[in-house]
Amino acid sequence: MAFTEAVGRTAIDQFAYVGQLARLTWRAAVAVVTGPRQGAGLRYRRALHQAMAVGVEAIPIISLITFFVGVILALQSAHELKRFGAMEFVPNAVALSLTRELGPLMTAIIVIGRSGSAFAAEIGTMKVSEEIDALETMALDPVQFLVAPKLVAMLIMMPCLTMWSDFMGIAGGAVFGILGAGFTISSYFRATLDALLKEDIITGLIKAFMFGMVITAVGCQEGLMTGLGSEQVGRSTTTAVVKSIFVVILVDLGFTALFYFTSPN
Amino acid sequence: MTPTPETQTQDRGSAISVRNLRVSYGEREILHGISFDVLPGETLVILGGSGSGKSTLLRTLVGLERPTSGEIWLGGKNMATITPKELDDLRKTIGMSFQGSALFGSMTVGENVSLPLKEHSPLDDSTIEIMVRLKLDQVGLAGYENYMPAQLSGGMKKRAAVARAMSMDPQILFFDEPSAGLDPIIAAGIDELILKLKKAFGMTCVVVTHELASAFLIGDRMILLDRGVIVANGTKDEIQVSQQPRVRQFLDRIPEPELKDELSYLQMLIGDDATARK
Amino acid sequence: MQIATRQVGEITVVDVTGDITLYHSPDLRKTLLDLIKTQKIPYVIVNLTEVKYIDSAGVASLIEGLKASRDTKSRFSLFGLSRVAREVLELTRLLKVFEVYENETQALESKPANP
Repeated sequence: MAFTEAVGRTAIDQFAYVGQLARLTWRAAVAVVTGPRQGAGLRYRRALHQAMAVGVEAIPIISLITFFVGVILALQSAHELKRFGAMEFVPNAVALSLTRELGPLMTAIIVIGRSGSAFAAEIGTMKVSEEIDALETMALDPVQFLVAPKLVAMLIMMPCLTMWSDFMGIAGGAVFGILGAGFTISSYFRATLDALLKEDIITGLIKAFMFGMVITAVGCQEGLMTGLGSEQVGRSTTTAVVKSIFVVILVDLGFTALFYFTSPN
Repeated sequence: MTPTPETQTQDRGSAISVRNLRVSYGEREILHGISFDVLPGETLVILGGSGSGKSTLLRTLVGLERPTSGEIWLGGKNMATITPKELDDLRKTIGMSFQGSALFGSMTVGENVSLPLKEHSPLDDSTIEIMVRLKLDQVGLAGYENYMPAQLSGGMKKRAAVARAMSMDPQILFFDEPSAGLDPIIAAGIDELILKLKKAFGMTCVVVTHELASAFLIGDRMILLDRGVIVANGTKDEIQVSQQPRVRQFLDRIPEPELKDELSYLQMLIGDDATARK
Repeated sequence: MQIATRQVGEITVVDVTGDITLYHSPDLRKTLLDLIKTQKIPYVIVNLTEVKYIDSAGVASLIEGLKASRDTKSRFSLFGLSRVAREVLELTRLLKVFEVYENETQALESKPANP
């Protein structure tokens, strides 16, 4: 009895949490579309500021990591392909696993570490220091003021960063391809382009878009749920990172399954 | 509970009317039916020890907590039944200075003060700039508009927060523990600022504090809250000479009497708090 | 709030009626800046006789008028301050900054304080 009850209660809590995430995202999206005319310029500037923090400042670390991931992918696939004498398929293996899966996922995990945690910490600190209350007493909606610009920045920057990750990963694969598998620069990239279909890239970008939404929602929700006391900020930051990674993987699973079962071949 | 007759509308001439207000956090009721009035242009001080519910009362007055029952009439609207849109409009006519100043750390002092104006008013940026300088000058922070809040001392932060609370020329200003955490000289400066603003703009002020000296300096009228009920409500002079035991205990700083009999002490120790208090 | 302007010789008098608040002061600002900067009126007088209340946004708009007149080397003055308006200006220490007169005749006949 106690076990089933616990399972049931946990399930209800999880559904409630997903509901809160959806509600927060919806409210932020509505705020983006229906914000009043006054202060529109300020909101635009806040979104731009977030886009810089989320996107542009992440480029060095994302470049570095996805470059190495590309090299690793090339090495791993070469290890198998070598046995079949099929080294010419290294570019295919690298390009497909990157664009469809690892590009969006690695980008999401780096963005969670940099920005999802920062969202939770920023909003959590504001909650603890009564700044969220101050916004409300000034008739400013915290969702419109804080969450909406982050959502806009994320939805734009996640696909952009993912495309960049794909490129850097392929470049990493190319380094191995040229040094260890007898490709030239042009032959490697030609093989990559031949291997890739438009839908490979698009499915990756759809995932990236969804990840951006999830990371914003979890980071901001955890920030808004921060309890009293500054030690709670650290707690909600950690929770935001763990929950975001989990939800991103779930969404990834869902979309990968969806693409698998709906694709024509 | 305070035996106050129930009225269904705002008392004529009151800036704020509170009637039978009850507020709970979850199961626990914090305010047990409170009624009082604040007249326009007067400074009401809400006194009380920690856990008396005074902060909850202030948060409810500015709409940060929802009452479980009762009425709060402010600007002709009942906050208990108000729509979000009406609440926003009402909030543009009030200002709140928070205990920890609650300045936005990512913005300069000037941006903090100008934020409500930029978001809510049709004013041009050049007009807003002048207004920000006027407000900062009034709180004694002229020339600090480009400082970040972190660069300011505690007293300066409080002043900047007051400037921000005043940016929309509110009719009512709320202060949560204006002198908490400040040294006595800086605290006296904040008291003086509140007095000056009130005299100059005829603003209605509601101040929550536990500092007696400050309360008697700035208050016209006082309410003493104890465990969620009003134990005294009167003018400064009435409270000063009140012979009510709870008032005297608070004003003369007499500590809580110790639990004398052994049984209730034991009950307190074993966690049976409810029986111990009876 | 209503704003009307009338010419008295070379001088323009701006008659303001009603309360000057946050939501109305942009109109006042526009009128003043238009007269001073665009039309280059040598002397603009603001009649506040019918103004009961002026908030800090209104004060800021008047300061902008004053600033514009300094920039264009023209004159700018106020008259007919109500008790409240006078208090607001006094509090913001602006009573001495503006040229303030009791009534229209004084304002019209006055000589520039420091040419």
